[in-house]
Order: sequence, then C-alpha cells, then structure tokens
Amino acid sequence: MTTLIGTIRESLRYKGREGQIAWMGHRLAGLGTLLFFVIHVVDTSWVFFAPELYSEAIALYKSPLFLLGEVGLMAAVIFHAINGLRIAVMDWRPQLWKYQRQISVATFAIIAILFVPAFIIMAGHIIEILSSGAGGVAGL
Amino acid sequence: MATNGTVKVELRVRRYNPERDEKPYWGSFEMEAEPEDRVLDLLHHVQWYLDGTLAMRRSCAHGVCGSDAMRINGQNMLACKALVKNLVRGGKGRIQVEPIYGMRVIKDLIVDMEPFMEHYRSVMPYFVNDEPAPENGRERLQSPEDRERFDEATKCILCAACTTSCPSYWANGTYVGPAAIVQAHRFIFDSRDKAGKDRLAILSQENGVWRCRTIFNCTTACPREIPVTQLIAEVKGAM
Repeated sequence: MTTLIGTIRESLRYKGREGQIAWMGHRLAGLGTLLFFVIHVVDTSWVFFAPELYSEAIALYKSPLFLLGEVGLMAAVIFHAINGLRIAVMDWRPQLWKYQRQISVATFAIIAILFVPAFIIMAGHIIEILSSGAGGVAGL
Repeated sequence: MATNGTVKVELRVRRYNPERDEKPYWGSFEMEAEPEDRVLDLLHHVQWYLDGTLAMRRSCAHGVCGSDAMRINGQNMLACKALVKNLVRGGKGRIQVEPIYGMRVIKDLIVDMEPFMEHYRSVMPYFVNDEPAPENGRERLQSPEDRERFDEATKCILCAACTTSCPSYWANGTYVGPAAIVQAHRFIFDSRDKAGKDRLAILSQENGVWRCRTIFNCTTACPREIPVTQLIAEVKGAM
C-alpha cells in the first residue's frame, strides 16, 4: 500500500539516526553515480554515431556546472564506497551493532578525510580550466 | 515547568475516519501533564474527557502486550512507555502522535495489523521436531548456552514498531520485515528445533532478509531493546 513518494516523504519525516541518514546518502550517491554512468555511456557512444555531438558533449563537460558536478560525483563515489564497506562490515560482524553509532561517525570522518585531498586537486584543475578560458561553453 | 510541577502539553494527534474524512488531518488538544505521565495517559485524557471519538489500541498499558505502538515525535515507540519528560523540554511543548506507517489506517491510531501477522505466520513461528520425545517422558533438555543463543529473540512482543520503522518495509510491504525475521531467529537458533533449513529457505527468497539494508531504525524503535539488526545479520550469516 505504500508508494515511492510515501517512502521518500516518510524517510524525511521519520527521525532515524545515523543509519537512516547514511542509507539515504547511500541511495542518493548510488543513483547519482548511476545517472553519470548512463550519461557517460551515451556520450561515449556518440564517438561512433555522432562525432560532432561528442565534441560538443566534451566541451560541455568543461562548463562550470559540469565541473562542479564532477566534484559531486567524486563525493558520491567516495561516500558510496566507504559507506558500502561499513554496511558489509556490520552484516559480517553483527555483534558490532553496539558500536554502530561510533562506526557511522568514523565512516563519515573517513569519507571527509578522503574527499578533502580529492577536492583540492579537482578545485585546482577547475581553476586551471576556467582561467584558460576553456569553460563557459554552456553559457554558465 | 508550571509552578505545581506540571507541564503544558499540546498533543497533536493524526486523525482519520475513512467513513467521514476525505484525508487525514491533525487534531490538537491542550492539557497539563505530570512529567512522569506517559503519552498513553495523555491519549486517555483526550478519550475520556475531551473527545471520545479518538480511536486507539491498548491493552496491558505496561509495555508487555505491544498493542499501542505508534509514531511519537517522529519515532516509533509504545505510548505506554513514552514519558512526557523525555519528549518535552522545559515547562511546555508539543507531542505529536500518529499511526505507525506502512499499514492501512482503520481509524485514527488504529492500523490493520493483518499484513504484519501474515508475515509473522509465513516464517513458521512455532517449534518443529517430529522426533520421539525423550524416553523418560521429560522435556527436551537444552544447555544454558544453547538457550542463550536465541534469548534476545524471545523478547519480541509483536508490536510492529520495528517493521513500521523500516524504510525497506515502507517501500515494499511484501518484505517480511524485522519482526518476522526476529521470530524466525528464535527458532532457527534453537538447538531443539528441526525446521531451521525450511525457515532459511523462506527467508532467502526475494522478500526475505536480503531486503534489510542495515539501517538500524528497527533496533532503535524496539521497546524491548532487542538488537534487531544484529539478529537479522545473524540470520543472513546462517544462509
């Protein structure tokens, strides 16, 4: 009797703790990564089917919006990977449930630690692209 | 807190009478309560003195029968175990009560428990052993260690607080849910029972344990403090 909309609404309304927050993040990160993957497969296929569209797509990836999206993609991949490991560990060693709060906090900390250097490298790359004038293709 | 030690509470209750209302709405009741009052006491106050049409379930009123599970201030719990002092900070505040989510609302706080019971029955929640009883006619003996193995699972009172706190269950009502898995655990790990494989076969199906996403809402919601997620993971491990 429940619906997708109902599940999303109740996931936002129910006051779950770290586990629920991590689950929602995991779903969002997974779906976001999947979306990128699908787009990427489609645009790569244009190399064969529509080369001129492929060039446009590659140029579009250098627009500020997509460069920012790449940072989000990196965050999503790191989150999904590390949180996935947490879930696997919790299923593998059920007795650790007593420490699930601490393990969740540690997981979030590891994600942040891994994301910071990735962000610095990517931000440098973005600044380089934008200052070279290669960006702005999408008019953003 | 008021001078006489009481607390001013605005009790918001999700109301719905399918025979009369087009959609659910929030009813609001103001009252003074003792910090040690339970949410059940507040609901009784509404039912007995303010609005007799309020519908809810309760039986023992002492956390044993499990009939008054509801969502209180955003979390599933038993109304008879939820104290005002743990929900309201300072001298006044709001307590929000709504039916557990994922099951059809019959009226106000009463939901149709039949789908939940159907999942419970589906995991064979009874002792199976067709071997002859011991010759001395006494019970099948079990060591304290073997008894301890499934002790936590024996505490379940089938209140449905865990199952209806589970996003996987919200998304898919055919998932057997945490409570049914706990009930299966109680027999799967009982050294005297002989139908563990049958139960594991049932739980390894599409709507069995693998729909658990290790979210831990069930563990926090359980009024009997059963480590539900741990027991589910143990069943996963036994597959």
